[in-house]
Amino acid sequence: MSFAEVKITKEPLMVILPILSIVAFFGIWQSLLSFGVVPSSLLASPLQVLKLFIAKWTQVNPDGALLTTHMWTSIQEAFTGYILALLVGIPLGLAMGWFPIVEGLARPIFELIRPIPPIAWIPLTIFWFGIGIPGKVFIIWIAGIVPCVINSYVGVKMTNPVLIQMARTYGASNWQIFIKICIPSALPMVFGALQIALAYCWTNLVGAELLAADNGLGFMITMGRRLAMPDMVLLGMAMVGLTGAVIGVIIDAVEKRLLAGIRR
Amino acid sequence: MVGNNPAVKNKIEVKDLTKRFGDLLVLDKINFSVAEGEFLSIVGPTGCGKTTFLNLLSTLMPSSEGNIYIDGDVADPTKHNLAFVFQEPTCLPWRTVRENVAFGMEVKNVPEAVKEERLDEIMDMVGLMDCANLYPNQVSASMVQRIAVARAFSVNPDLLLMDEPYGQLDVKLRYYLEDELVALQNKLKSTVIFVTHNIEEAVYVADRILVLSNKPTNVRAEVVVDLPRPRNPMDPKFVEIREHVTELIRWW
Ligand SMILES: Nc1ncnc2c1ncn2[C@@H]1O[C@H](COP(=O)(O)OP(=O)(O)O)[C@@H](O)[C@H]1O
Ligand SMILES: [Mg+2]
Repeated sequence: MSFAEVKITKEPLMVILPILSIVAFFGIWQSLLSFGVVPSSLLASPLQVLKLFIAKWTQVNPDGALLTTHMWTSIQEAFTGYILALLVGIPLGLAMGWFPIVEGLARPIFELIRPIPPIAWIPLTIFWFGIGIPGKVFIIWIAGIVPCVINSYVGVKMTNPVLIQMARTYGASNWQIFIKICIPSALPMVFGALQIALAYCWTNLVGAELLAADNGLGFMITMGRRLAMPDMVLLGMAMVGLTGAVIGVIIDAVEKRLLAGIRR
Repeated sequence: MVGNNPAVKNKIEVKDLTKRFGDLLVLDKINFSVAEGEFLSIVGPTGCGKTTFLNLLSTLMPSSEGNIYIDGDVADPTKHNLAFVFQEPTCLPWRTVRENVAFGMEVKNVPEAVKEERLDEIMDMVGLMDCANLYPNQVSASMVQRIAVARAFSVNPDLLLMDEPYGQLDVKLRYYLEDELVALQNKLKSTVIFVTHNIEEAVYVADRILVLSNKPTNVRAEVVVDLPRPRNPMDPKFVEIREHVTELIRWW
């Protein structure tokens, strides 16, 4: 009873406050430009951004592609790199956690590469792949693989040793223990990596596109700067944020469903 | 020296089993044997090395010296049929009760049809049928130990090792589970080594009791429990054996 009461008094406030803060944010932003407090060469108003957003659905110029084309390019790059990162990183991390040979061989190299920010690879990828999609996929792959490896590795390492002993007493082989004990026990950690890896992938994608691209949301931001169009810069930023948030929600739902499948 | 009945062959032989952790001598040349189908209890004070001893028997841990022979060969879990019921709960949280019981048979590649049949039989015997599709965190502590016991018996072990399996449970449940254990052992004729620090429990379940000394640990005495089953802890003979074992432990 008292629990329900607390909820009732709290909920309207938690609806009103966010609305209030968002309205205030956009209101102040808009009026700063409407009243000329901030010159329009430094910042575009929300309404201008909205106008450009609508125009860019049908208008290719001045940056050379429709908004949807930019978005599609970015999503394609991000997902390809992300999926490749999962496909390589998760099995690698799991194996590193259990097989000493894999850990011994892979860990030093992993530790060597890990501290290098993924965008530091950009010059090399331009040599290797030019400025098309493959180079960006490579950067994103590098970015996403790190949390996949770490979480899978830690997940296996955290397996309750008594469960491993139990399996051993039944004569389970190393491989059986890995498949039947270590992997299921690591799964919650592995699923945790899905979300983290995606965030890494998306952030680094935009970084990569800012520097080396002829398409994509990051490229759109760069074009906005080159054309001295703050509204285009802001539209690019807003779309990066929105798309990232939407993908995040989708992954979150997938993760919840997967977890519900293995844990009660 | 062993097996009350000379007609029954010795299943397990332990020879000069020794374990040191660095300078700490925990087990000092333990020798004994267990007959086929025998229910052997091992009692000893806490910290004397009972768990270590079982870890050596199951070959989870290498011995410093000495060996364990099963049917004349050095024990090897990939060759012999061992089962171990641990002090701690060892259910796999992502498997249902039934899948947990099946784990041992799965590892040993028991054919699907045989596995299902034995599962039905053993789950029924230990009263797990009703919670077959629940997950371990949805059942009580006594159920969790039953799962471990059922899983152990399901592989028809040559040797079943039990490390204070009911140590955490309250007295009433304990008698109940001990009866169940004795009935299972009687029916399936497994060879059991049951470790406990509870003397009453040992007298209640065992055909024979080995009393361990303090560290460095040795077998200090052997007590045959030739009471009919089911046993009554109030029976004067039961009490007599219990007190005898207690004396043996107190003495060291
Ligand atoms: N891995 C280990 N390393 C060092 N000492 C250990 C180890 N395992 C057990 N011991 C020591 O061996 C002794 C026996 O432990 P244990 O077998 O757990 O006793 P029990 O099961 O009879 O209570 C204890 O004194 C303990 O400190
Ligand atoms: Mg112990």
